[in-house]
Amino acid sequence: MPDRIADIWGRRTPYGAEARWPVRVDQYLEDGVAEADVEWVRSACVLCSNGCGMDIAVHDGRIAGVRGRATDRVNHGRLGPKGLYGWQANNSPDRLTEPLIRETGGRLRPASWDEAMSLVAERSREVLAERGPLGMGFYNTGQLFLEDYYTLSLLVRAGIGTPHLDANTRLCTATADFALKETFGSDGDPGSVTDIDCCDTIFTIGHNIAETQTVLWSRILDRLHGPDRPRLVVVDPRRTAVAREADVHLPIRGGTNLALLNGIQHELIENGWVDRAFVDRNTVGFDRLTQTVAEYPPERAADICGVPADDIRAAARVIGGARRLVSTCLQGVYQSHQATASACQVNNINLLRAMIGRPGRAVFQMNGQPTAQNTRETGANGDLAGMRNWQNPEHVAELARIWNVDPLRVPAWAPPTHVMRMMRYAEEGSIRFLWIIGTNPAVSLPELARIRSILRQKRLFVVVSDAFRTETTEFADVVLPAAMWGEKTGTYTNHDRTVHLSERAVDPPGAARPDMEIFLDYARRLELTDKDGAPLIKWRTPEECFEAFKQMTRGRPCDYSGLSYDRLRGDNSGIQWPCTDQTPAGTERLYADHEFNTATDYCEDYGHDLLTGAAHERKDHSAMAPAGRAILKAAHYLPAHEPPTDDYPFWYTTGRTVYHWHTRTKTGRVRRLDAAAPEMWVEMSPADAERLDLAEGDLVRVESPRGRLKARVRIGGGRDGVVFAPFHYGYWDMPNGDGDGGSGNGDGNGGRDRARAANELTITDWDPVSKQPLVKTAAVSVTKVTEGGAQAR
Amino acid sequence: MKLDNAIKGVLDAEAALAKRLLAVGERHAADHDVYHLGHTLARQAADHVTRLTPFAERYHMAPPAPPHAGDSHGILETLRLKRSQLMGRAESAGMLLLRELRETYLLAQATEIAWTILQQAALAVRDGELLDVISTCHEQTETCAKWLRTRIKETAPQALAAG
Ligand code: SF4
Repeated sequence: MPDRIADIWGRRTPYGAEARWPVRVDQYLEDGVAEADVEWVRSACVLCSNGCGMDIAVHDGRIAGVRGRATDRVNHGRLGPKGLYGWQANNSPDRLTEPLIRETGGRLRPASWDEAMSLVAERSREVLAERGPLGMGFYNTGQLFLEDYYTLSLLVRAGIGTPHLDANTRLCTATADFALKETFGSDGDPGSVTDIDCCDTIFTIGHNIAETQTVLWSRILDRLHGPDRPRLVVVDPRRTAVAREADVHLPIRGGTNLALLNGIQHELIENGWVDRAFVDRNTVGFDRLTQTVAEYPPERAADICGVPADDIRAAARVIGGARRLVSTCLQGVYQSHQATASACQVNNINLLRAMIGRPGRAVFQMNGQPTAQNTRETGANGDLAGMRNWQNPEHVAELARIWNVDPLRVPAWAPPTHVMRMMRYAEEGSIRFLWIIGTNPAVSLPELARIRSILRQKRLFVVVSDAFRTETTEFADVVLPAAMWGEKTGTYTNHDRTVHLSERAVDPPGAARPDMEIFLDYARRLELTDKDGAPLIKWRTPEECFEAFKQMTRGRPCDYSGLSYDRLRGDNSGIQWPCTDQTPAGTERLYADHEFNTATDYCEDYGHDLLTGAAHERKDHSAMAPAGRAILKAAHYLPAHEPPTDDYPFWYTTGRTVYHWHTRTKTGRVRRLDAAAPEMWVEMSPADAERLDLAEGDLVRVESPRGRLKARVRIGGGRDGVVFAPFHYGYWDMPNGDGDGGSGNGDGNGGRDRARAANELTITDWDPVSKQPLVKTAAVSVTKVTEGGAQAR
Repeated sequence: MKLDNAIKGVLDAEAALAKRLLAVGERHAADHDVYHLGHTLARQAADHVTRLTPFAERYHMAPPAPPHAGDSHGILETLRLKRSQLMGRAESAGMLLLRELRETYLLAQATEIAWTILQQAALAVRDGELLDVISTCHEQTETCAKWLRTRIKETAPQALAAG
């Protein structure tokens, strides 16, 4: 097999419209391990939301490799570089293998599970007694399994009884979740990855598919390089690999997505590229939308967005001429100014053209993390379990009945608390216990100096469960070693609703435990009970949990009732929900009948005002009476909160590289991936570099009103005036990067001179609807520090 | 005809609301959404004043002074971080925020009813141009109140029931 670090997407296997995507099995085994000597265990990749089906090779009780599963509906055998090589993190020698407790002196020392969990339970009881459930906060991830999440959701919502439970999916897919709820009445991506196989046009905005979901991009590339090439419209300030394939590329100014999307809709409506029969029958809000976008003729949109009006017209013409349109968006929309408002306009574009619910007609509000979908379904983030509406007393009562608790036990007086608000409560001191599960806020949240100063407070008791020591464990009072993928059994769901089962292939190292077992232990110690005094959580194994979960989803949009572990072990690799007794093979596309989940009694949310986030209440929703019609939501463009100034003249945007995942806790431990991108860098345009007299590899200082970092410059093809910084790099693997707050100086950033994390500079600001932090909109300055030396690459 | 009275009612209410939104935003800068939306909505209220002012003349009212809606800028960030670490660390911050949001909500309600009064009068004198302005501004004011209501509903439990 070729080196897939250099050859990210692998060999092309072109195919034409409506043909089957050819199989290509990608496999990687450790040196010296022969295929004949391994046992294959069924799983799926957990390194991005594509959720490629894969088998794990086990040799001598260790994971020794992986191979893509040829029969899987998502990937037809393919794996990308992260999937092929990422598993090696499981075997890394610095896994956490025993619980740790912070001594009075400040150092973490090994402890037994009993000692560590007793301390966690004791401190929880104290906070509950002194401050009540609102003193407790839980912040988890998008990388556990469905069974871990559902256990946590029940534990926190009905056991502890606090609304303060969120996941880091808030940073990646909260806007996808909210945009789907606003438009279609509930979460759940309508389309299927097979829509790529038969579309004739792809419109993608703020979504660097080539790096974020490499196998999905392989599928698209194979269409682009096959017969009946689909046309491609790309909106991205950077000239990405996706943009290089585009028929029309719009490198717009940061923070102007909404103006552009309004401009495109203006053209669709103006030129009559609208399916009026569909719009009249199946949507509400068209008049208001028409009125709003009337103010965005291409010239005005061009002014705001900094691209030629003719290019906006060209993009609209391609979209307007599409007969089978797939639209996608991701972080370029979700982490930018006016995130939910913009994401809703992408839904609108497909609705105006009736491009929904049929083969090749889909809109993808993409996920980032592999199991983000499950946090949303289980309610381990900002939703209520089973896509229920927290404002609907019937829904809350139903959940309480299923959980056998008093309905008043379930916190539903307001939406579940989002992480930025939880941090604020910890800052003001009203949250005193914070359990951080499988995520690294000390690198991934905005404005890191603030986050560190919150986590460092003595009055806040911090528990961290993770597979590794991270920048965040350095603030923990107790650290709990968690099992990873491959070391536990469970299920997870990708961005087209495909559910996979992942079997335990090997034992966790040392005393590490699956997260679900840790939660069960905690619930036992706190003696959490239902209203009859029986244990609140009735399951002991992942399979029992899955069975309970699927009953809880019966009749809801994410209906799992027809699924079971046995069915997921069958020949069909990957089954899409909803899957019921009537639809045992799953459901390829939602809304095939153009009946949306917007009935007032059924919907997951009553919606929001997109500018302020003001929550609509039941009476507002009833008055609008969408009753199964999709909702076209309109919004005006507003300038971003922190535009570039004389002092901070550059637009700062953070993002990803193909080789790394999140804060590199896994990928930084895989030699090949780490070697491919070992060092922090920032990217600038050739013209900006020339103006500042910068050459590739020069060291620069980048500064915002909140912090600074130093990194080497790469000169790329992005827009002038933009500085791009990958958000993956923290401090754990820098020399002297561990120990006291990650630095030796207690500030956890490697000291002022060594600061390199992108989020040192980002602004504390979030979308008013989805509450997703806006880490792509800040203003910075750039100063040359030294020339040349090591190359940035 | 006493429409000048109703116009003055709206202008005074919007000016007071704008001022209060700015003040709350500044005082609660550690609650970043209150800071940002406070500024955005203050600008919106100021904009309402600008849009209604031409009608003051039509109905013989002395023109009011334009209200001031500030902008966020860099130096504030540093101040804000410091403040969030000092004042923002006080547990009473939640109670204070709740009280001020409540007062702001009442101002927004007062503004909303002032628009309703003006709308009724504008209907009676059949001033289509004025009605156009009223319809946008009135709805935006209702949304402003609704945002405050949402924020208050979220704030009250933590401020009152925690600890
Ligand atoms: S595309 Fe995503 S799910 Fe598939 S192998 Fe790559 S990282 Fe894993």
